[in-house]
Amino acid sequence: MAIAEQKLTSVSPATASSGSFPWRTWLATVDHKKIGIIYIVSAFVFFLLGGIEAMLMRVQLGTPNNTFLSADVYNQLFTMHATTMIFLMVMPMNVGIGNYVVPLMIGARDMAFPRLNALSIWLFLGGGLLLYLSFLTGGAPNGGWFAYAPLTQVQYSPTAGMDYWILGLGLTGIASIAGALNFIVTVLNMRAPGMSINRMPLFVWMNLVVSFIIIFAFPTFTVGSIQLLFDRQFGAAFFNPAQGGDAVLWQHLFWFFGHPEVYILILPVMGMISEILPVFSRKPIFGYSFVAFSGVGIGFLGFIVWAHHMFGVGMGPMANAFFAAASMVIAIPTGVKIFNWIATMWAGDVRLTTAMLYAIGFISMFIIGGISGITLASPPIDLQQTDTYYVVAHLHYVLFGGSILGLFAGAFYWFPKMTGRLLNERIGKIQFWLMMISFNITFFPMHIVGTEGMPRRIYTYEAGMGWDMWNLIETIGTFLLAFSVLIFIYNVLSSLRNGEVASNDPWDAATLEWTMPSPPPSYNFLHIPVVNSRRPLWDAKYPHAAGDDHHGPSSAPSQVRYEYTDEETEGAKDIHMPSLTFSPMIFSGGLTVASLGFIYINKDILGLPTRVAALGFILIGIVMVSIAIRGWILDSRKDSPYLSQHH
Amino acid sequence: MRKEARKRPIPLLVLVLSCAAMLAGCANLPATTLYTYGDHATRVLDLLTPVFWMAVGVFVIVQGALVYTVIRFRSKQASAPVPTQIHGNTKIEIIWTIAPAFILLVIAVMTFRTQAANSYQPPEAMKIRAIAHQWWFEFQYDDGKIVTASDLYIPVGQSVQIQLEAADVMHNFWIPKLAGKTYMIPGKTNYLAFKATESGIFRAFCAEFCGESHGNMRFRVIALDPAEFAQWKTNYATTPAATNGTAQALGLTGDAARGAAIFADPKKQCAACHIIEGTTAKGKIGPNLTHYGNRLTIAAGVLPYTTDNLAQWLHDPASIKPGNLMGRVIKKGMLKDQEVADLVAYLDGMKFAVNMPAEK
Repeated sequence: MAIAEQKLTSVSPATASSGSFPWRTWLATVDHKKIGIIYIVSAFVFFLLGGIEAMLMRVQLGTPNNTFLSADVYNQLFTMHATTMIFLMVMPMNVGIGNYVVPLMIGARDMAFPRLNALSIWLFLGGGLLLYLSFLTGGAPNGGWFAYAPLTQVQYSPTAGMDYWILGLGLTGIASIAGALNFIVTVLNMRAPGMSINRMPLFVWMNLVVSFIIIFAFPTFTVGSIQLLFDRQFGAAFFNPAQGGDAVLWQHLFWFFGHPEVYILILPVMGMISEILPVFSRKPIFGYSFVAFSGVGIGFLGFIVWAHHMFGVGMGPMANAFFAAASMVIAIPTGVKIFNWIATMWAGDVRLTTAMLYAIGFISMFIIGGISGITLASPPIDLQQTDTYYVVAHLHYVLFGGSILGLFAGAFYWFPKMTGRLLNERIGKIQFWLMMISFNITFFPMHIVGTEGMPRRIYTYEAGMGWDMWNLIETIGTFLLAFSVLIFIYNVLSSLRNGEVASNDPWDAATLEWTMPSPPPSYNFLHIPVVNSRRPLWDAKYPHAAGDDHHGPSSAPSQVRYEYTDEETEGAKDIHMPSLTFSPMIFSGGLTVASLGFIYINKDILGLPTRVAALGFILIGIVMVSIAIRGWILDSRKDSPYLSQHH
Repeated sequence: MRKEARKRPIPLLVLVLSCAAMLAGCANLPATTLYTYGDHATRVLDLLTPVFWMAVGVFVIVQGALVYTVIRFRSKQASAPVPTQIHGNTKIEIIWTIAPAFILLVIAVMTFRTQAANSYQPPEAMKIRAIAHQWWFEFQYDDGKIVTASDLYIPVGQSVQIQLEAADVMHNFWIPKLAGKTYMIPGKTNYLAFKATESGIFRAFCAEFCGESHGNMRFRVIALDPAEFAQWKTNYATTPAATNGTAQALGLTGDAARGAAIFADPKKQCAACHIIEGTTAKGKIGPNLTHYGNRLTIAAGVLPYTTDNLAQWLHDPASIKPGNLMGRVIKKGMLKDQEVADLVAYLDGMKFAVNMPAEK
């Protein structure tokens, strides 16, 4: 497990990359940093796809009785927009940044299970590509990202779209569970000496909490969706009332996962904000334990509020009252976080870098999303507002104004560490203001049209309802929002080439990742640091300013170094890292191919040949997985001194 | 080193938008939840109003604190001294943990009072059964003696209890100005009780995504004075007389008697799906079309009821309501224009007088 102790051969990136793009070192990588970047880049591509879907829908809704999109295509687009943004954008973006940053923050050389980490990224990509393949093979999923039964039964949704949805998300679900286990083991076992639990950076804390949420929430979804798959493929009737099944059961299974999922999307971003605000206020986080434990509290409470998505299904007033009360209670730890963030800036030296602006923007928009959430927690009010555009406004204030603005803060903050160059601050600030303004133009009016009675998920609406003007404004806002994303892409591309070169520590930060060169070498730390406080780098830089830290750290300064001699760097060749391997990619490729086969196993579109082809795909998949398992075992032997000694 | 960006636009923008929102919310639009004519929706509004003002208060305080903090403490110079390193304050933490809890407690108590009132099912309420189909609403009175669709007639001032069911997938029953939403679930029966406090015609929707034409699944609620409601019911229960009038559609003169024959013709398949009381049409798949001429809309709220719109519908149902069952049988042009005109004359002829209230 502890890679630092392993003696094994390594491929140094310096020798592998020259001339053309080093495909092999990326595709066969087990380096958490490279895997993180693959996550981030692919999540961003899915962000653009989800954004294009959103824009198409907004064009359709820009005017009443519009015929730009057909009803069926619109339904496919809103299903895929939500599925993409949740499962293929925000989640993997969080995972990607976590993958890159968490081992660096805790002073580790990699994740605990590097090959499992590689398996996660390729399974995620396999699942995402499978989902998008459905657009080309006769129709994307069209039953909503919540896939309510019995609309998703095969008689009401006869295309293969929902099967793609189930299996595509099944693959990304395995990736998430494997990733979560990897994070938990990494954080619990691989922290640098001296970094006790109560000295972990808050971003690490939130990743730990989210990993536990994932391993408790995802299995419910996986089981439910496999049952749905059996309903569709074999007529199992778990959720089909016409055959004695229970449609409401699906809602319980789905939302028992679906609501914790909301915190899976937001908590890591809250962790990022909790890192960025102190650095640019030049102060420690206010109330470290309260911020950390409010995250834990949200994680627990997140599991007892799921039925607030179901106030209207007739659970009865007592059940509704319980879920309403629990949902209101969750506002308390959330409020605690917001107050502590503001207090962190209070009396600080607040530096409005682009990353800081995005972090402040996050708080500002999240306040609005949190407040609109309170009205939705009240069942009588909810029954007027649910399934209207009011909810669309609320969820976008939380997930776009929250998660995505926070992710932009993280992007500007860690971009120099990942690439060695700073993003352009001037362009960044222009983009920030454009995005803030256009975000509000797009989503604020949705509160209004929702209150004025516009239902969600309608592909068109009649004129004269008073919704026309606001819908047009929202559509214009969407285009401005897209333009601000284009500015970001330009910023990234131009900064990669010509951006200001980043030092180890361009932001005067506090945590361990800033002790390393930008970007860090493949082995991360030449010498594993010894940590004696929550802000090891800050305390090393400002030994006199750290004096009043009463919350845990000992008086001894942390041993962090960020200047190494050439001689020492030469010695890095002796640090052995796990070798390149294609096994995880072949494994996930096999599962993806087999899943594709399973989708068509019971379809009689072309009669027998379809079924034979489907069985063929499954067989190929099994062979690929078998080859990968064998390769994996051999890789483990090769990389482990303990196993190879016995030969 | 770094140029500071101005930070006024955000609060200003939010303020402007909030004002615009409040102004816009003041208009009595067709489906707004802010002008209510039923006890259920009114109680929700009475709960929402104080919660809204509390939310505005919280917003102003917290957003104000955020903006004030950023402006007051933003770095004035690149080489500012390191600020005092404050790590926290347990007293303050406890205060701002408990303070929101009190606000939430107030909201929770008000919520539970409203919820108790809104979930109460008065035993004396008039019972109406509503069954949702893809994508239209069926309404039954008096244990199925009266069956209609798309227009829900109720008496003013009397509680009604809607027994909510679904024939295929999940739907959701929503009349913004009268009552909040309740799911219509296959295999499960839900109940919603409310009372209209004023006469009027009200917009209503299916609020749960229910497939291709979910966006086309609407209905109207017509709240009549009790005497007129009783009259409507009596009239509706009377079998429509055989009609032999005419009507203009598609520039042609339709003949009702011919239309009746077309409707009954097994080759045209109308009677396979629809019921018209007093005729041989006994199909149970589509909506009951008895007294069709009284409908306020065509195709479950998609088009206003006019003879021209009815002709358009009969000409090509799939183009008006994508995915609907009738469109799979009656393809575009399958009925000749003269046949359409005859059918329009027949269907439009079956009606009786109702003193319709104003749209509210």
